[in-house]
Amino acid sequence: MTSTEIAAVRPARTPRRSGPRSTLTRSSGLGLGIAMIWFSALVLIPLMAVVVTAIDGGWDVFRSTITNGQTAAAIRLTVSTALGVTVVNVIMGPLIAWVLVRDRFWGKSVLEVMIDIPFALPTIVAGLVLLSLYGNDSPVGIDIANKRPAVFLAFLFVTLPFVVRMVQPVLEELDRDVEEAAASLGASRFTTFRRVVLPSLAPAIAAGAALSFARGVSEYGSLVLLSGNLPFKTEVTSVRILSSIENDNVPAAAAVATVLLVISLAVIVLLDVIQRRVAARG
Amino acid sequence: MSIEVTGLNKKFGDFVALDDVNVTIPTGQLTALLGPSGGGKSTLLRIIAGLEKGDTGTVNIEGVNATNLPAQKRNVGFVFQHYAVFKHMTVAKNVAFGLEIRKRPKDEIAHRVDELLKLVHLSQFAHRLPSQLSGGQRQRMALARALAVEPSVLLLDEPFGALDAKVRKELRDWLRRLHDDVHVTTVFVTHDQEEAMEVADEIVVINEGRVEQVGTPDQLYDEPANDFVMSFLGEVTHLGGVSLRPHDIDLETQPLLAGAVEGSVSRMVRIGFEVRLHVLTVDGDEVSVIITRTHARSLGLEEGSTVYLTPAAGATVIPRMAAVG
Repeated sequence: MTSTEIAAVRPARTPRRSGPRSTLTRSSGLGLGIAMIWFSALVLIPLMAVVVTAIDGGWDVFRSTITNGQTAAAIRLTVSTALGVTVVNVIMGPLIAWVLVRDRFWGKSVLEVMIDIPFALPTIVAGLVLLSLYGNDSPVGIDIANKRPAVFLAFLFVTLPFVVRMVQPVLEELDRDVEEAAASLGASRFTTFRRVVLPSLAPAIAAGAALSFARGVSEYGSLVLLSGNLPFKTEVTSVRILSSIENDNVPAAAAVATVLLVISLAVIVLLDVIQRRVAARG
Repeated sequence: MSIEVTGLNKKFGDFVALDDVNVTIPTGQLTALLGPSGGGKSTLLRIIAGLEKGDTGTVNIEGVNATNLPAQKRNVGFVFQHYAVFKHMTVAKNVAFGLEIRKRPKDEIAHRVDELLKLVHLSQFAHRLPSQLSGGQRQRMALARALAVEPSVLLLDEPFGALDAKVRKELRDWLRRLHDDVHVTTVFVTHDQEEAMEVADEIVVINEGRVEQVGTPDQLYDEPANDFVMSFLGEVTHLGGVSLRPHDIDLETQPLLAGAVEGSVSRMVRIGFEVRLHVLTVDGDEVSVIITRTHARSLGLEEGSTVYLTPAAGATVIPRMAAVG
């Protein structure tokens, strides 16, 4: 008797569910089809093209590009700075959102609009603003032009709204009753936040963090002016990719792009795992 | 006395929520705060719990002045109208929350949670999430969670308000039985007079931020302090200068009793075993009268019949005051 036959004569055992059953109707199937075409044309195909271009160049080109000291330094700087900025945003974002949702104060609506400015501003304008404030002729006496903090600052500037804007609506929807219930059960404000509020915010924080990291890794406009793009020091990957293209070395550019793609994907997956842990813990 | 509230005032902006409230709530009993919406009863409950602060006045809980104690230190259990569940925690975790905060040993917590889930008939749902429970089950879980910390008083804010009529009635009976088992001093807020009369040992009627009357359900029904209490606890009609209940009126087709008021039936509605009549009296009053179906049939009543009305012997009657109800 084979194992499949054994399984067949045991009707009491419920079959393991292989996943959610499809609920597609003809019209929603059409919708899904359109969505997939749209998604493929805009995202999947270009992404695949980058990877294919990188592979086309051959493994040797790929490896020599990645192990090139200048490129590796640029990748290290970009990824570590983006991670650092994301950590700052994960702490500051919910804090700002909390103030905006829970407190009433003079000038709140102005602040509300200001949060979005880094979003709305063309990045090169942001770069100009940063340069005039923190450049060589800094009116406040802080000169970080051509130094690494310039990259950090530029990332911080452009990624500010992400976590705030993701957390804000969730916080608004949060039931105040739940916090009061925790308080009447004896929980301090900190414990209430950690065990009751934070698990509800975790998915929004993670989503904001992912956006903020992705934006950091891809940033170009806001930092080129202030950072000076010094190889091994303040050069980021987007600048490195651009110079590869300018030197007609498309496979090298694609190779760097592919590495960034893989890192971004890994970070997004990691954030999702962390988010699930926090949301389930309580 | 378990809870003593003295001289309590509370304003929200210009709105006076509580106006010099003095209430004493006896130990071990089930007390209802009854009144119309916006009358201040929930505010009073929240101030007792420490979730809100009174402007002036004091709150004593079991002899301790709790006026300035934060909610965390009052050791009261609070149950909210919309359950306020911790939705990312299982039922057992929800119930264990207060005990974990108090850092009790693990096996003691597990034992106590088990006991409480049995008490509220949710043992088989211990590992479910609250979203997988019905409204009534969620509220029972919230009650177990509040009871877990062995509170000195249990406060319930419209606990059955979000449930449908049938579940509400079941839970009401169940709460009464639970209270008979557990005997914790319990205060619950409701705007449903039937609920208050059925469940409570004592009722505090609150209206427009003031306590109108305190007493047992029978006292309130039989000896209402004023028109408001009378009309809030049941239907009221007016007959010859007094207020009384529509079913406390004797109706005859002949002027048998002295002082009977003559009138004619202007409308007749039958609902099950009772018949509701509108009688237009010769004085120009419109009186509502409720009699049984059998009685109406034996008198051969129909719209337009001439009838004679007198307050029944033993009826609750109070002099008619300003137009209320």
